[in-house]
Amino acid sequence: MEAPLSAVVLDGLTFQYAGAPGNALDDVSFAVPAGEICWLYGRPGAGTSTLLLAAAGLAPRLTGGTVRGAVTVTGQDPQTDDGRKALRGRVAHATSAPDLQLSGIGATVGEEVAFAPANLSWPIERIRPAVEAALARLGIAHLAARQPAALSGGEKQRVVLASLAVLEPPVWLLDDAGSALDAEGRRILAALIRAEAARGAAVLVASEDADAMAELAHRVILLDRGRVAWDGSPHALLSQELAWEHGPGSTAIAEIARAAWLRAAGQKFAPAWPLDPDEAAARWS
Amino acid sequence: MTPAPLVRYHEVRFAYAGSERPALDGVTFAAAEGEGVALFGANGAGKSTILRLAMGLERGASGAVESAGLDATTAPPEAIATVAGFLFQQPETQLFEPTVARDVAFGPRCLGWDTARIEAAVRGSLEEVGLGAVADVHPYDLPAPHRRLVALAAVLATGPRLLLLDEPTAALDRASRETVRRVVRRRRDAGVTVLAVTHDGEFALEALDRALLVDRGRIVADDSVVSLLGRPGAPDLPAPAVLARRLGLRVPVPRTADVLEALLGALPQPSAPR
Repeated sequence: MEAPLSAVVLDGLTFQYAGAPGNALDDVSFAVPAGEICWLYGRPGAGTSTLLLAAAGLAPRLTGGTVRGAVTVTGQDPQTDDGRKALRGRVAHATSAPDLQLSGIGATVGEEVAFAPANLSWPIERIRPAVEAALARLGIAHLAARQPAALSGGEKQRVVLASLAVLEPPVWLLDDAGSALDAEGRRILAALIRAEAARGAAVLVASEDADAMAELAHRVILLDRGRVAWDGSPHALLSQELAWEHGPGSTAIAEIARAAWLRAAGQKFAPAWPLDPDEAAARWS
Repeated sequence: MTPAPLVRYHEVRFAYAGSERPALDGVTFAAAEGEGVALFGANGAGKSTILRLAMGLERGASGAVESAGLDATTAPPEAIATVAGFLFQQPETQLFEPTVARDVAFGPRCLGWDTARIEAAVRGSLEEVGLGAVADVHPYDLPAPHRRLVALAAVLATGPRLLLLDEPTAALDRASRETVRRVVRRRRDAGVTVLAVTHDGEFALEALDRALLVDRGRIVADDSVVSLLGRPGAPDLPAPAVLARRLGLRVPVPRTADVLEALLGALPQPSAPR
């Protein structure tokens, strides 16, 4: 049996964009094991997107800039040609801009989702059921014959996610990839993330949505100006002042609880703050 | 007397080229000056298409679409651009200049304004979105949420009477969402009409009053934001509103600030700190 290997390992990762005064990432070290949902959180510019781009081998290759330290993904180095070759089809990176990610080659949604498997030389009898299953998982089986370019923004995001899910990748790098989804789409994406982690994938998610991630993530890495300011339980981070001090704040309910504490300062509203309506109702009713 | 509508759709039917199924199938509604209307609906329901028609970005619709007195089905887009502004779902669609200030100046320049007026408009709208400090930065050197605020500033710079916003708070951090809410409220107070496609229930509650629920190219409900939240296709009820219900607080429109006030008022007053 293989020794359990951390799926994504960062060791002193430091990144600087060309011409930028400071580092976008500054000596970042942590490891994400297979099966973990790891949330990357921070204020705009904190470095979460850069971190995912570096792990995907896209920064600095496409963005420019200089990288120091090490990043490995399932034991391979995405910063090298050999590493990227070995990682083909194994790293699912998606952003909030599906237009930049659709291949433009698939004439239909079905063909778009089949594009990567075909390029990986899967036999057609394997591709067909896998594509059908991926479309069904994202709730877009009814779009299979439609033209990708003619879809709405939220539908395109689902197509991008299906075109990645079809590969059953060991590593997901999701950068606000659900931003245009409707309420049902958000539930589908959360279920997909849970199922992928349960299958053994490491799922790194950069998201501003503290309400959603408080429920979903096993662990949170809070970045503050490129440095790790917190690495641990999402609940612990979001229920204390640290989430505001080094990050963009917390869930909507925690925001209310904190505001009430600042206004009234009664013990009833003291930290640790509740994160969702259930917790808050239990404490305040 | 109700004021004349600033934007008006009447029996609008539209299909994208090459598609046999209609994107819009008989859309009728109107919005008055200063009104804020959310467009709710599942992905692919036709919400963005409704916005695009008011900007004259699609041709070939039947029925009538009027934007600030212009016939948006025939008026040239540059004429509509003098009265309306459009924020695209992806800011990358509308940012192409080497600095933030030049991007924001693009619209006013196209309208032929003089330099002093352009500079004042650029400064004003960048300050409105809280990005006065990055005027000389390349837009793509900014983090994605701020890029989106730059696109919003560019839309605001020409002073449109009609704001068409496609998911204005998607992928924004809490502080930037707050900025967008404030901008929308302030512009509405000045008489600007806002149509916004959104899946963000909190934004709709805080910044808009009325909502349309769009389903397969038709408007299936037209009501207050608070009464449509939670319906299939509409955003879920935001957490503060759920909390207000759970605690039995009386808050007719459960905006965060109102829930907070109700919460402080409803609970036994805390004893003074010892």
